[in-house]
Amino acid sequence: MATTYLRRFYSSFLAHIYDIPPRLLALLGILLLICLPLAGLSARILLILTTAFILGIFAASWDLLVGRTGQISLGHALFFGIGAYSTGLLFYHLNWPLWITIPLSLIIGSLAALLIGFPCLRVKGHYLALVTLAFPIILMGLILYFRDFTRGDFGIWNLPSYFPTLPYTQQLIAEYYLCLFLLLASAIIMYKIANSKIGIVFVSILDDELASKASGINITRYKMMAFVISGLFATLAGSVNAHLMANGHVTSLASLRITLSFMAVAWTIFGGIGTITGPIAGVLILEILDKYVLTEVIDVPSSWRLISYSAFVIILVIFWRGRGLARFVTDKLEDFEEARDIDERGPKIWKTYKKKEKK
Amino acid sequence: MIDVELLKSILLYGVMTGGLYALLAVGFSLIYGVSEVTNLAHGALFMLGTYVFFFLATPYGGIQTNLFLAFILAAISVAIVGSILYRLTIDPVVEDPLMVMVVTISLAMIMQEVLVLGFGSYRQRVPSIGEELAKMLGTEDLVVVWGVKLTYSRILAFALSIALFAVLLIYITKAKSGRAMRALSQDREVAMLMGINTGRLSMLAMAISASFAAIAGVLITSSTGGGVTYPHIWRTPLFMAFAIVVLGGLGSIKGAFVGAFIIGYIETIFSFAIDPIIASILNVPGGASLSGAVIMATMLLVLFFRPKGLFGKRVELEE
Repeated sequence: MATTYLRRFYSSFLAHIYDIPPRLLALLGILLLICLPLAGLSARILLILTTAFILGIFAASWDLLVGRTGQISLGHALFFGIGAYSTGLLFYHLNWPLWITIPLSLIIGSLAALLIGFPCLRVKGHYLALVTLAFPIILMGLILYFRDFTRGDFGIWNLPSYFPTLPYTQQLIAEYYLCLFLLLASAIIMYKIANSKIGIVFVSILDDELASKASGINITRYKMMAFVISGLFATLAGSVNAHLMANGHVTSLASLRITLSFMAVAWTIFGGIGTITGPIAGVLILEILDKYVLTEVIDVPSSWRLISYSAFVIILVIFWRGRGLARFVTDKLEDFEEARDIDERGPKIWKTYKKKEKK
Repeated sequence: MIDVELLKSILLYGVMTGGLYALLAVGFSLIYGVSEVTNLAHGALFMLGTYVFFFLATPYGGIQTNLFLAFILAAISVAIVGSILYRLTIDPVVEDPLMVMVVTISLAMIMQEVLVLGFGSYRQRVPSIGEELAKMLGTEDLVVVWGVKLTYSRILAFALSIALFAVLLIYITKAKSGRAMRALSQDREVAMLMGINTGRLSMLAMAISASFAAIAGVLITSSTGGGVTYPHIWRTPLFMAFAIVVLGGLGSIKGAFVGAFIIGYIETIFSFAIDPIIASILNVPGGASLSGAVIMATMLLVLFFRPKGLFGKRVELEE
């Protein structure tokens, strides 16, 4: 009985993961991330990676909205901030535990996405991008204005942590696994949505809005759906991040800054727009490069770091557009696969002939 | 019942603010009209203008030139920087709106950090042209117009911005290249078929837009903004410019002008009359932090009823 299940599992593993090189690569990456804390890494790297996982959810949610439906949003930090502030304020005023405040903040975040969706979906293209840029400013203004209620500039400190009973190092590792789990779960959900029937409709809106409208698709409904799903995951990232040790258990205005919205765009462009997995890889690589290699290994001043980051993004955009790392790697792997197939099929001479023909 | 003094000052200050904002916003609108570039580095060019002016006009840089000369040099140098940046970075991706926004916002970040490296991240005091003028005239920097106290800086800034706006209007209606710009913003394909060199024209439009941003920067910081500039200031003028331009309709010069006065009046009315009332009712300290939110909310309200802004291009079927 057990062996048949095992065999079935093994054959489905072969068919769905082993034979598809990008998925195999992703699996290896996940295994590496699972094993990393066991290798006894320094606390600094663990903290950076924990934050990077959360930012990965954020970047992937941006990608689901912009890369799939083409609704350009430049104010995605709004949802991150809504998540951070709703969980923070619920704790500050009502002193509720985090397993109530985080789910509640998700509800608040999706309601906010619905509410914001109405004015946003009336406008298109450049107007939409600029309108979405406006929302974080409005929220920031409100937070600064009602500073008795929101604590304004100071932010809300000493939010509860996830594992208060554990000692410091174990708490670090536990948070690492928690965030890794959240990242994997939300990445799989978003990937499934993006490749389901709904996801195909999203892409049809990106390709030709008029044609999909003419095919009888209620595009407003689907756009709203994309907005809410994306907002939900961004809110999740924001509210989970607020309670993390890596973040210092604080909710502050930094979660609403234009820099954060811009970073989501930068990571996605590096990873590959519209691939969902690409932005996550982009976040992990760039965060390690930026926060570890350029800060700890080679001590580069923060100004130079930001300059090189921005210059890198510009160069990337000019030469690579939105193609990104994920597509690049997939293409390379496919070439490799093709070469392997040819190897199996015939002698070497035939292979060279085939290559010439390709040229 | 109605406070006449308050009404008078709202009327005058609203006009002055509107005039300055028109100068700030028209550049943003112009470059959008000519090459469909949403220049998110507009605020950074504004900031760069204030810094060049600061460097040339104060003892900080060691070359304390005449204020007026520094003013002109700031406008020219920012125009050159703007057009070079356009050619190098924006032009290669100009057909893709998302990529243009990413590139321009990266440019803004680079300028911010370069200024942090060069000048430090603290506030720098920008000298006021109006004060200099008042000194030359031998009077105090204070005039009473229609019972409202105003500074020379404000009046000078207002007069200059209206004059420059008029020059721009004459340029785009009379000059050949200006008319080509208008043609491009009306119908891109046909204008290109008529043999307009879009690349060169876009660079020219960018130069004008950048110099207007720099001029607006010097005038606004020296007359209203408390006279200081710092490397993170670029967000405020950028948000102001795009709120005005989106409200008026992207690419429309008339829209930028009307939108600037609407936003100018709303900001003035809010900070003079409404903010103290809200602050006293809700018992909060009040202050300028909500005025940005009010401006954005106004923009959203207008867009809700007119999705292309007040004077935006109406495109049937397409898009």
